[in-house]
Amino acid sequence: MADDRQRRPGLAASLSLPAVAAISLGFLVPVLWLARMSFNPVDPSGALGEGWTAHQYVELVTDSFYAELTLATFRMAATSTFFALLVGYPIALFLYRLESRWKTLLVLLAICPLLVSGVVRAYGWIVILGDAGWINSILRGAGLIDRPIRLVNNHVGVTIGLTESLLPYMTLSLLAGLGRLDRGLEEAARTLGASPLRTFLRVTLPLSLPAVVLGSTICLMLAVSAFITPRLLGGGRVFLLATEIYEQALVTLNWPLAAAIAVCMLLLFSLVLFGSGRLQRRVAE
Amino acid sequence: MLARAALAFAALALSISVARAQPSGEITVMAYAGIFQDKYTEAVIKPFMAKFPQVKVNYHTAGNSAQMLGTLRAQRSSPQIDVAILDVSVSNVGNKEGVFAKLDAAKVPSLKELHPMAIVPDGFGPAVTFDHWVLVYDAEKVKPAPTGLADLWDPRFKGQIGLSAMPNIQGIAATVLASKIAGEDHKTTIDGAMKRLKDLAPSVQTFDPQPDGYTLILGNTLTVASGWNARAQLYHDESKQRLGVVFPKEGSVFQINTINLVAGSKNAEAATAFIEYALGREAQKRFTETMFYAPTNAKAEIAPAAASRTAAAPANMARMIALDWDWVTTIRDGWNNRWRREVIAGR
Repeated sequence: MADDRQRRPGLAASLSLPAVAAISLGFLVPVLWLARMSFNPVDPSGALGEGWTAHQYVELVTDSFYAELTLATFRMAATSTFFALLVGYPIALFLYRLESRWKTLLVLLAICPLLVSGVVRAYGWIVILGDAGWINSILRGAGLIDRPIRLVNNHVGVTIGLTESLLPYMTLSLLAGLGRLDRGLEEAARTLGASPLRTFLRVTLPLSLPAVVLGSTICLMLAVSAFITPRLLGGGRVFLLATEIYEQALVTLNWPLAAAIAVCMLLLFSLVLFGSGRLQRRVAE
Repeated sequence: MLARAALAFAALALSISVARAQPSGEITVMAYAGIFQDKYTEAVIKPFMAKFPQVKVNYHTAGNSAQMLGTLRAQRSSPQIDVAILDVSVSNVGNKEGVFAKLDAAKVPSLKELHPMAIVPDGFGPAVTFDHWVLVYDAEKVKPAPTGLADLWDPRFKGQIGLSAMPNIQGIAATVLASKIAGEDHKTTIDGAMKRLKDLAPSVQTFDPQPDGYTLILGNTLTVASGWNARAQLYHDESKQRLGVVFPKEGSVFQINTINLVAGSKNAEAATAFIEYALGREAQKRFTETMFYAPTNAKAEIAPAAASRTAAAPANMARMIALDWDWVTTIRDGWNNRWRREVIAGR
């Protein structure tokens, strides 16, 4: 195979042409259009002008609101990724070690939330977390609270909803990463007298770190770009980059500003990917 | 004999020219989806097609007003839409960008019958529906009923309020009314409104009711919310009066939908005929009586039962606060920032 490729480099190039064309049309052209739109002049009503301006980028840099927004977005994304890891790791480890004919079924169960639309799941959380929802009813029934605690329409609700929506992705990527873990190493540690905790801390955890980095990167990206969950569970109180793009594009009609935020988000994504790639290489060594 | 022949010939010629002037072909009207589509089709589009059997009207939906403008922007080189009904703040943008064409006043005689607030400058598409900001509440749980925005500060509503904030245009209306409560002129300052709304913020359950305040009240999540009259009246009937609708004592602000001719329409003749029909007394009366949008045609004679449930009733009309939506676009960003920082974040 490798010899073939070396002998006929033109073949590989021509075979990849359709894929390259599809990606250029489906991804590159829209992104270039977006980049062009971000430099388009716009008047306060939202009417697009002609020509070029860097006004949107100046606004993004000078208005402290957007720095706060970026920070809030990454804080929210990191928090929900952390919780997803906390819950997903034991699940993935359990599933990985399980030797049962139910294994496939359980793995399916762990990722089946993906089969339900994010909108439906968000409404489900509204029912569970609302003032008259299950959690508040149980707490009230137990006499622990007099007034309902607000678990939705704020940051708490969005964090819970995001964590849940990330969980299947986290579990899946951890499972994939753990597949490379050699069970023999754990057995060797145990035979040589290490306690289960010590075996986990010194053998399992370090060996699963690449999977942790991979899962966290995927979840962080998904969380930063998440839109439905913050929109439905935030109650208008949670301002994030994705919701801001929606409002600028579809409510205040400022397409250039929406495009500029999207371009900045893309740049931030590339930075995160770059950082995560380096981190992954370091933990793999 | 000769005179009679000449007369007959003239009549024939006239009838031919009238037949030629009859619009024909196909047009596509773009407007809101859901219940608006059902009621508008029933009250305006079907009767129009009955009156002009040679014209076929398609109904196209593309989401909210901004999404409709997005569709029109994308079709600039070859428009597939002939008539668009959308919010005035968005249609103003379309007018500036040349997405919409000016109307030929001679072909739209109903323009002369429109309410002064319905006229859009420079001959662009005028208002076709008036809706207004209302309070909706759970009539089973909330007794006595609220009378206006000022009542929301009452502790009995704590945690049960849905108040659509800016940039939603309901938030703009709420700002104007809160300014009135504060005794200030919103055109010069909204400091008092911001201070009051900030005090209200902890009582507000959501600043962005999803899917909307009416549904959340009927689903027992809220007891009071902001809304638009037309939808509120429909929910009022549908819920067998459980959803109460209040015309605020502070007055109210119009949400205006305009009807616009798309520039480059391939059938401007039929499109203009449709616009004229939609603005005419008959269609205006029927749509108001079906969906409780106030008519923009001042001459439309609305049945008193329906009129009293819209801003068309003189007592309500007198309490409307005029708001220039073109002016609003110049202050919108500033107000929006103050809502976010002072009201919602509570700084």
